[in-house]
Amino acid sequence: MDKGNNSGVKILVFSTEKISDPAIDLAGLLKMHYPPVVYTMIVPCSSAIKPRWIMHAFEKGFDGVFIAADGTDCPFSEKCTENTSEIVAQTHTIMKEKGMDAARLKMAAICSVCAEPFVKHMNTFVNYFSN
Amino acid sequence: MNYDVMVIGGGIAGEEVAINLANLGYKIIMVEKDYSIGGKMIHLSKVFPTLDCAACITTPKVSETARHENITIFTHSEVKNIERISDKEFNAELVQHPRYVTNDCTGCSICEDNCPVVVRDEYQFDMVGRKAVFIPFSIASPRIAAIDIENCILCGLCEKVCPADCIDFTQEEEVSGITVKSVVVATGYNLFDASQIQRFGGGEFKNVVTAMQMERQLVPTRPFNTVLRPKDGKMPDNIAYVLCVGSRDKTVGNPICSQVCCMYSTKQAQLLMGALPMADVTIYYINIRAFGKGFNEFYQQTGDMGVEFIKGKVGRITEKEDGNLIVRYEDIESGKLKEAEHDHVVLSVGILANTDYQSMFNNKAVLESDPFNYVKQTQELCCPPKTSIEGVFVAGTAAGPMDIPDSILSAGAASAETASYLRSVKN
Amino acid sequence: MKNRIGVYICHCGSNISDYVDVEHVRELAEKVEGVILAKTTMFACADSTQKEMIEDIKSEKLDALVVASCSPKLHLETFRNVALRAGLNPFNYIQVNIREQVSWAHSDKPQEATIKALKLVYASIATVKHSKALKPIKIPSVNTVVVVGAGVAGMRAAIDLADMGSYVYIIEKEHFVGGRVSQWDNLFTTGETGREVISNIYNKIMAYENIKLFTGAQIVSKAGSVGDFNIKVEIKPRYFKPGAKVDPDKLEEVIQACPVEVEDDFNFNLTKRKAIYRNYPSEFPEIPAIDADHCTKCGICEEKCNDVDFSMKAETIEINAGAVLVSTGFDPYEPNKGEFGYAENDFVISLQQMKRLIELSPGELVFKDRKIKKIAYIYCVGSRQSEGPNKYCSRYCCTSAIYTALLLKEKYQGIKNIHLNRGIRTYGKQELLYNEASEKGDVFLQFDEGTPPKVSAENGQIKIKAEDILTAGREIEFSVDLVVLVTGMVPRKDNSIANIFKVPIGRDKFFNEIHPKLRPVETVIDGILISGACQGPKNIPESTNSALSAAAKANTLISKGDIEIEPKLAEIDEASCEWCDKCQVVCPYNAILKKDVNGKMVAEVNKANCKGCGMCLPVCESNSIQLIGYTDIEIESFIDTLAMD
Repeated sequence: MDKGNNSGVKILVFSTEKISDPAIDLAGLLKMHYPPVVYTMIVPCSSAIKPRWIMHAFEKGFDGVFIAADGTDCPFSEKCTENTSEIVAQTHTIMKEKGMDAARLKMAAICSVCAEPFVKHMNTFVNYFSN
Repeated sequence: MNYDVMVIGGGIAGEEVAINLANLGYKIIMVEKDYSIGGKMIHLSKVFPTLDCAACITTPKVSETARHENITIFTHSEVKNIERISDKEFNAELVQHPRYVTNDCTGCSICEDNCPVVVRDEYQFDMVGRKAVFIPFSIASPRIAAIDIENCILCGLCEKVCPADCIDFTQEEEVSGITVKSVVVATGYNLFDASQIQRFGGGEFKNVVTAMQMERQLVPTRPFNTVLRPKDGKMPDNIAYVLCVGSRDKTVGNPICSQVCCMYSTKQAQLLMGALPMADVTIYYINIRAFGKGFNEFYQQTGDMGVEFIKGKVGRITEKEDGNLIVRYEDIESGKLKEAEHDHVVLSVGILANTDYQSMFNNKAVLESDPFNYVKQTQELCCPPKTSIEGVFVAGTAAGPMDIPDSILSAGAASAETASYLRSVKN
Repeated sequence: MKNRIGVYICHCGSNISDYVDVEHVRELAEKVEGVILAKTTMFACADSTQKEMIEDIKSEKLDALVVASCSPKLHLETFRNVALRAGLNPFNYIQVNIREQVSWAHSDKPQEATIKALKLVYASIATVKHSKALKPIKIPSVNTVVVVGAGVAGMRAAIDLADMGSYVYIIEKEHFVGGRVSQWDNLFTTGETGREVISNIYNKIMAYENIKLFTGAQIVSKAGSVGDFNIKVEIKPRYFKPGAKVDPDKLEEVIQACPVEVEDDFNFNLTKRKAIYRNYPSEFPEIPAIDADHCTKCGICEEKCNDVDFSMKAETIEINAGAVLVSTGFDPYEPNKGEFGYAENDFVISLQQMKRLIELSPGELVFKDRKIKKIAYIYCVGSRQSEGPNKYCSRYCCTSAIYTALLLKEKYQGIKNIHLNRGIRTYGKQELLYNEASEKGDVFLQFDEGTPPKVSAENGQIKIKAEDILTAGREIEFSVDLVVLVTGMVPRKDNSIANIFKVPIGRDKFFNEIHPKLRPVETVIDGILISGACQGPKNIPESTNSALSAAAKANTLISKGDIEIEPKLAEIDEASCEWCDKCQVVCPYNAILKKDVNGKMVAEVNKANCKGCGMCLPVCESNSIQLIGYTDIEIESFIDTLAMD
């Protein structure tokens, strides 16, 4: 609850229209609080995120990018987890080349009712940058 | 006038049926006795167990119903003499009561501002006043004025000030014949009149209100913009709910459970904890009926938030000079008679059948009732929408107590049965 | 670029405005370049506001629209329709979620919530500037529905679907239809028997030409999507010739001859059955079946009966369907060993076993050679758990237990019922049964979740110790002949259907609807509907209502011949594309083709197959693919604006 603690930190979450965004909505519905420096942007599937978007976010000043992945619940493909991991791996390589901390990009599967895990992820992620 | 389906009642169930069938291409006539569609739900605050605001769910349905090209709505109207005239058709009389305001009304409310007559506002459950010419409520559909002719003094002021020139005192009741292929009864329910139980002081003690009156105080469009004790305008800090008022009570002729009061009271308690963070809320109950999806979890959460649940039957409520109330109850857990003082009491009134449908059918086609005056479901297990008349279906609380999710499912079922029936009479 | 943008910020009653300073957001939004008007509104979704927006769009000639309100899952369509009615392309509209993801999520920090709301509004204005007008795509749809499960919900839905003109396939995993209802004898509140109910429905179904029923059938895979699912079904051999009419006496003889005995699921293991079986004499289809999992193929039955045919093989069929209606029902909660003496004490059974026992005991109520007179019912076993995972109420069990207790009294002499409950929940008209049981002398004791009754065995007697809160926590001890655990509903153990169709699962582990009031029978997967107890505990009328609702929704969805889908598909930049096949490999829908443009090989999107998932975007090394609605410029404008301080 300490205000100011996370001031300056900025997190971008890529959520997915059918799976993880409903979970983030659910967190709000249940008034489960997470830091308000977390901004969500919806994509159809976590396997659709271009590494250049992630890098763009870092360049523009986001401290962390979190991919709320479809995981095994993906309505499009069973290979979603694999594909999203590949995107993360590729981006990590680019980040390494630039000497960036790999921990700034995280990915976790968030199912459509995973409100609680989402909130936990956000709290730890924001804490990582505040400390 | 010919239509495929007549939907009687424009509450959430009626709207759901009308939209479903209209989307399948059927022509619908919706008859609503009130000035606006939206039923009871449009007046609620937030709804359990998701705490969505009721308006956020009803207003889009209201809007979709109102603008659907296949739906024709008659508000402030009634239907009479429904009669089956062939295997495929019903005749009925549509009675349109005069509103004394034409449809050109823009809802500017200048007439309302100028009207000198003040009466109790039934849409705010009598807590505040309204004028004799009035827009029923802020999110009404249609959002146009109406003149309550019983209370109007015919001063003509509204007629003078109306910029759109739409006050029309010459309007008369219009009766027209309609022919439809099927009928869906979605006439909803009535609330139990709390003043019938004198020992609770409903209608007598000012700080004893009904749950609907409390509900209105928790709505965004609420009358006082906060929760107040009616007697002195003080913010209450110790509120009690008395459950099963007019339900599970043979002495008032309603032995059945109303199915929604436990949950709406629990929900109001949660909302009150938000609106008045310092207030204590106590719920006196016999059994908590938190049976639907997510309901029990909601009830548990309410207890965890600090709402006190007392298993106890309330015997009598008396009023102190300062307006506070003494609740005498049998505390079941200790087996003792106890007293507690509260500064505000909410009576969680039950729901009763709306028997209006009984006079809509003429004596050649009797729509049978169940022992509690709800529309009788003749095939309750396998076809809940079926009634005693072929081609007439029931949706929502016209068939018995139900919460909103169940009403919507019941309306969905009535839509499927009506659509199936319409295809069978086509051939 | 759009430069006549209208912005609306919703109070949502007070849901948003209690935490977000909507007026502040409006003031600042109004100053953004390209914004022509910014307004706040009590309810953006209200009819009057919608009308106002339409007038604004027309009179101000707006070319794009931003509404900051609730989640787009609720009202995206509402405002797209507003745009449409005003003559604005619905895809020049963006909804900003400042309720679920701002005001509610950050109700503890109103100031920061306001900042977040403002930034999201800014970012959406920046994005909507780049939005393009799109035409909806129509895909053809087959007017066929696959109903999964032939219980009361599935079969009732099938009838209405057929009546409304759809072709229906019912896929039932068991060899017999009827689901749970066929296992119950008399049903509350009408007194009909499960058998009567199922017989009626089954016979109706048999009369339909447009309903095809497969028993012993299991869905093994699903491909395609709404309007055009391709579903593979494996049908197990019944080992009885189709249409076989076996003489009942003869059949009895064949069954007796079968040497294999297994626990009878139908009777909840109270009895045994043979590998060749039928559940009760008139179970449908009226052909016995051989349980392939247990049959030893000894051949005795084949010798005795010409209709037995072991040469039958499993078959796989493919069904093309527009929608799928899942109605797979529930399992009764199976108590743990030792839970109130279950599986340790012979005389502790479940409510479902009790119901079967009544039907199996025509004369006297005798169980394991004991005459049963005094019965204790322990409620909420497996429901409303404080420790276990099932926090929910199973809804039907209070009434079912009371009704069963009343039936016992009616059918047998000298029955005494003692109900140890946690507050009876006979809601609605079912209350009358509770009244009746009380009047007929049933005893109701209530225990607290913290102090459940204790069941113990002493000299073959069952002793119960309970603290009754109705009598001020008095400790009561008594012995009974039989304990019935009033076990609730749990989701089916077999979760293959959830896996195949990706049906979302809720917090209670039942299938989850999109919204309990707005879209109670639809799931987030387009074209997959849910009904009956697989969505959550329900009694029979409630299951039927949900099934018929789902039938209506499915029919509306697919009966028009085509379905409008989002035109948000992938687009290839042919100039920069250097065919490498990576997009083709990753695409789950075979939507990427190779084509020759003046001698250069490039990728092409097959619009009918593309589902707009975007999986091809990140694999393209030359960045030649854009997903409409998620183009680089839109995404990057959004990010740029959010990042600004």
